[in-house]
Amino acid sequence: MSTAEAEAEADVATAASITIGKPAPELRALWLQPETQSRIWSHFAEVTPSGEQAAEWTAHGPAGGEYRWRTAVTDSEPDLVRWATQDGADVPNVGELKFRPAPGDRGTELHLDVRFDPPGGAIGQALSKLFHIAPREIVRTALYRFRALALTGEIPTTDPQPAARKGGEDR
Amino acid sequence: MRALCWNGVNDLRVETVSDPEILNPNDVILKVRLSTTCGSDLHLIDGLIPTMREGDVLGHEFMGEIVDVGRDVTKVAKGERVVVPSFISCGKCWYCQHDLYSLCDTTHPKPELQEPLLGYPTAGIYAYSHAFGGYAGAHAEYVRVPFADTDCFKVPDGVSDEAALFISDAAPTGFMGADFCDIQGGDVIAVWGCGGVGLMAQQSAMILGAERVIAIDRYPERLAQAEAFGAIPLDYTKVDVIEALNELTGGRGPDACIDAVGMEAGGTGLQQAYDRVKQALYLETDRGAALRQAMLAVRKGGTLSILGVYGLMDKFPLGLLMNKGVTVRTAQQHGQAYVPRLLEHAQRGELTPAALATHRFSLEESPTGYHMFKHKDDGCLRAVFVP
Ligand SMILES: NC(=O)c1ccc[n+]([C@@H]2O[C@H](COP(=O)([O-])OP(=O)(O)OC[C@H]3O[C@@H](n4cnc5c(N)ncnc54)[C@H](O)[C@@H]3O)[C@@H](O)[C@H]2O)c1
Ligand SMILES: [Zn+2]
Ligand SMILES: [Zn+2]
Repeated sequence: MSTAEAEAEADVATAASITIGKPAPELRALWLQPETQSRIWSHFAEVTPSGEQAAEWTAHGPAGGEYRWRTAVTDSEPDLVRWATQDGADVPNVGELKFRPAPGDRGTELHLDVRFDPPGGAIGQALSKLFHIAPREIVRTALYRFRALALTGEIPTTDPQPAARKGGEDR
Repeated sequence: MRALCWNGVNDLRVETVSDPEILNPNDVILKVRLSTTCGSDLHLIDGLIPTMREGDVLGHEFMGEIVDVGRDVTKVAKGERVVVPSFISCGKCWYCQHDLYSLCDTTHPKPELQEPLLGYPTAGIYAYSHAFGGYAGAHAEYVRVPFADTDCFKVPDGVSDEAALFISDAAPTGFMGADFCDIQGGDVIAVWGCGGVGLMAQQSAMILGAERVIAIDRYPERLAQAEAFGAIPLDYTKVDVIEALNELTGGRGPDACIDAVGMEAGGTGLQQAYDRVKQALYLETDRGAALRQAMLAVRKGGTLSILGVYGLMDKFPLGLLMNKGVTVRTAQQHGQAYVPRLLEHAQRGELTPAALATHRFSLEESPTGYHMFKHKDDGCLRAVFVP
């Protein structure tokens, strides 16, 4: 692989792992709840449940760009969930989540891999430019939020009360 | 409500900001009764910690009264007087369940800001930059406290607001630092720094059975407080600290050394001049004089317990630790692991944190309070704010 190809590959494939102190079946059930998806991806896209294990996604890019796609679950096994975009997606992508037992008392490992196929091919347009978010953050932050939700029932936030003033409204 | 806001390096102002609200089911809203300055705030005020934003409300050491409760809160209730550790911890994750509360896995709203720096995000903390979560601080009339069941501790009768206040941060930090030393009968413990944290580490070392505690600083009022707590004071500008420690330990060296100074350490001579120039140029953020001295002083096979906050430091004499077989222990405070015990020690009069409250200000006067605290004017050990 040339350097340019390797860079392009790194930019479209995003993988991350996280460990959560709960059994796999419980985590899998939570993952498949439609409102979970809306909550954990909110740093990246608006996800609206639509029909049986399907969802509409809207991601925003810099300068007002808007990208839409619809995903549906394609495989669902005890230790694996896969989904893929359906025809007509602005940014086709596929996702895979694997559950593996973690050692000792540590619960379950989640391995998440999302691959994007940006318009114009892998080297056509860098993902980070498309979405205004580093590709690795897309999946890592989603997993962090999922763990918070699974363990505590909530997702940490400071919105709408960030420590810093917001557009002068706190003056 | 009124709150003390950071507006830039050395630019603090009291402003009117929005009142906090319950955002998550485990939140409570606290009406702040007292809050205080911490040495850690000086790193923010001096601009040594990045990712602060204009308008950030400061203050991570506080106590108050619960005035509003989220729907999943069960262990504390409206009207209760509570103290809250400065790190936000869920009580449910692997780290919280192993008493490593400041490493909580679920309370950082912006993990992507911190993970590239540390590898993994820590717990969120009140008012300690956006890389540490961007939570609003407590130098304000009200503050939002997440995970109240884990993070709010009822203050028992017989413990004053002022004593409880420091059981938020200075006392648990100092106690943790002494706990790290695994104190055995006959142990001599040396503590660098007689600020709130160092003094609490000294008192804690005595509670945990140290034979002798030695306190190092340069400010006479602080050294006098250390002496009043029963420690042997050493002024590092007047004596050669290494020689004095040698003398006080019969040539063995202290069994454990606690650094309660951090990156703004003062020093003497050439090393200090070198460190200062580099810090001014941002080549490194830390001067580290106290830490280096502690590494040299500690006995062979002893423990170095680091409570002071550090950023980047080069010329770090790692070989010294290795060749002497020193155990290094360090952390941001795991307050929730210690608060119940500390409240009991305070109730029995064994721990006397209220002694740190040398100066009181209204919230409106808090910028003056910080100025006094930073410059140690008038023997100011900690400035306490009453909203
Ligand atoms: N680990 C934690 O969770 C935690 C919590 C609170 C504070 N801290 C850190 O602990 C440190 C102390 O906090 P504080 O509130 O007591 O601060 P402080 O500024 O009130 O006290 C620091 C003291 O260190 C003294 N000092 C400076 N150079 C020295 C030297 N070379 N030798 C001996 N003493 C020296 C100063 O004179 C001062 O009295 C800070 O770095 C702070 O950020 C850590
Ligand atoms: Zn502090
Ligand atoms: Zn936790």
